[in-house]
Amino acid sequence: MMQAGDVLSGDARDDLLAAKDLTKTFGGLAAVKNVSFSVSAKAIKAIIGPNGAGKTTLYDLLTGIYLPDEGNVLFQGREIVGLATHEITALGVARTFQTIRLFTGMTVMENVMVGLHHRTKTGFVKSALRVPSGLREEAWMREESLRILDIVGLEMQAESLAGSLPFGQQRLLEVARALATAPRVLLLDEPASGLNAYETRELGGIIYRIRDMGVTVILVEHDMGLVMRISDEVLVLDYGEIIAEGTPEEVSADARVIEAYLGSEID
Amino acid sequence: MDGKSNPTKGGGVSPGTRLAELVKRNRAVIVFGVFILLLPLWAEHIYKGISIDILFIMRLVGVFTIAAVGLNLLMGYAGQVSLGQGAFFGIGAYTSALLTVRAGFPVWLGIALAIAISAAFGLLVAPVLRLKGHYLAMATLGLAIIVFVFLREMTWLTFGNDGVRNIPELALPFTHITGFDLPFIKEKLQRPELYFQFYFIWVVAIVVLALCANLVRSRVGRSMRALHQSEVAAEAMGVNVSAQKIKVFVLSAALGGLAGGIYANLQGYIDPNMFSITLSISILTMVVIGGMESIWGAVAGAAVITFLPKFVEAIPKWVGDAPKWLERYSNYEGIVFGLILILTMVFMPSGITRGLSDMFRYRRSPFMNPFRRKAVE
Ligand SMILES: Nc1ncnc2c1ncn2[C@@H]1O[C@H](COP(=O)(O)OP(=O)(O)OP(=O)(O)O)[C@@H](O)[C@H]1O
Ligand SMILES: [Mg+2]
Repeated sequence: MMQAGDVLSGDARDDLLAAKDLTKTFGGLAAVKNVSFSVSAKAIKAIIGPNGAGKTTLYDLLTGIYLPDEGNVLFQGREIVGLATHEITALGVARTFQTIRLFTGMTVMENVMVGLHHRTKTGFVKSALRVPSGLREEAWMREESLRILDIVGLEMQAESLAGSLPFGQQRLLEVARALATAPRVLLLDEPASGLNAYETRELGGIIYRIRDMGVTVILVEHDMGLVMRISDEVLVLDYGEIIAEGTPEEVSADARVIEAYLGSEID
Repeated sequence: MDGKSNPTKGGGVSPGTRLAELVKRNRAVIVFGVFILLLPLWAEHIYKGISIDILFIMRLVGVFTIAAVGLNLLMGYAGQVSLGQGAFFGIGAYTSALLTVRAGFPVWLGIALAIAISAAFGLLVAPVLRLKGHYLAMATLGLAIIVFVFLREMTWLTFGNDGVRNIPELALPFTHITGFDLPFIKEKLQRPELYFQFYFIWVVAIVVLALCANLVRSRVGRSMRALHQSEVAAEAMGVNVSAQKIKVFVLSAALGGLAGGIYANLQGYIDPNMFSITLSISILTMVVIGGMESIWGAVAGAAVITFLPKFVEAIPKWVGDAPKWLERYSNYEGIVFGLILILTMVFMPSGITRGLSDMFRYRRSPFMNPFRRKAVE
């Protein structure tokens, strides 16, 4: 089984994850319209766009939370539309949530341990009987979750309740929890929203570290400073459609992008 | 990488340390086990004085503990509210009763099959788990009603309202060997069957409690609590939410069936009215007042709800001329349970076990002031 630390082997495919003509409408409104893009291994790709552009909906389509009206999603060349979310996670696509969805009543470590669920297998009977193999697995889960918490700098808070963490740390815990699923592609949904400048800078470093571990990162983000600083490619959505794609420099010079953003996020 | 390739270090722990750890981990089980073991010593003494047959009633507490702990896994931990636990209890009771009475099965086999049939029925109706919140509560309530009506109307199988009579009692196995039959023991214990039933039920109940306590502290338990808090997030973390819910539901049904199976062989007689929705609501009340997400709370909840009517019955014997309305208590027992349910949810939302343990641990009142304004988030 893979893990977050694996570095992709030499034959890394160019298109780790690809969407083809994805469309999703909600009662007549096209939240995502004919979106096609691909992301290559070990890249950081940002997806930006004004509020309501369809970024979160696109994530929901990629992770099987919604079924697209049309279109395909290929992960490592394999069609994943129609798979359940947990199956897609097990294949190697993990995500965080824009509106934080931590298991607030559980500890920080337990949250991460839930992320290890599909990489472990002790079931009902073995858990109830506390068989040695289950205990070994439990010990491994604790160790592994501490290792992952260390990546985002939360190992000292392992025993705190997730709900009691300050907001910025809750965002980081969302990242750690997703990382625990050993993803090849990590989809981050506005991880910097609500963070102060210092925390955002730290987050940039963490995203680099995750990329260096061989994980492809897709970043939906409104903080243009962060986007321009760390991404290799930027994709711009507006009213569900792609209006520009390219390097940060190309995109920020694009007339349609400037128009879509006029008076909003780009200062 | 998985657990196998990563065995934990520390193979050289001494047996003494390991035993100490085992004791520490299971201290609740041990303390409670000793309490149960010694209970007959004092219970039999005060029995006459207070006119409450503690040993007799404690058997029922054990039975309901099993049913309540099953429901607590489903409702407290996995967050799936069910008003149908009484149905599984009833199915278990009828399975065991009919198999022993009509087909002459031995009691132990009747109880084993009660577990199996209830679990199978749970699996059959598991698609209701697609419903959420109030809808699930309504659907499981419907289930409880349907099962009740079937038990009453399928007279060719269940004898309907006449009930099933002469169910073989949960009796001493191998009476010749166990010594319960020896004359001097007979002399000492006036009611050997009662003792056997009491210990048998509590051994089963304590084993169930210990296994459930292990379960909720494991990978499986975490996945249950996770999907309780956010199904979408649990699913995105790789938990097969619908499969996990079905498994917990079936386990909960199986425990309901086990409790029902024992109950039938304890009572010797069952009829459908014992398994009406009132039973489902009583079990639910046990879970809520004992405390959601609390394995040991099931014991406390079952004890309170089972002993309460017996106390009320005993009051006239204590005070001589008790008010007339007390005699008709059983008619409005449902109202009392409902009130207890509401008051617990308002004043002690985490249940009596947690409320009391917090009182000792943090020296604070076990009651919550529902009128205190919460800090604005
Ligand atoms: N479940 C839903 N039902 C109906 N409409 C929806 C639903 N989810 C999203 N929408 C609509 O689809 C559009 C895209 O929403 P989405 O949340 O994907 O935007 P976004 O780019 O993530 O915006 P933001 O930057 O505010 O997070 C919006 O107009 C939204 O109102
Ligand atoms: Mg969004």
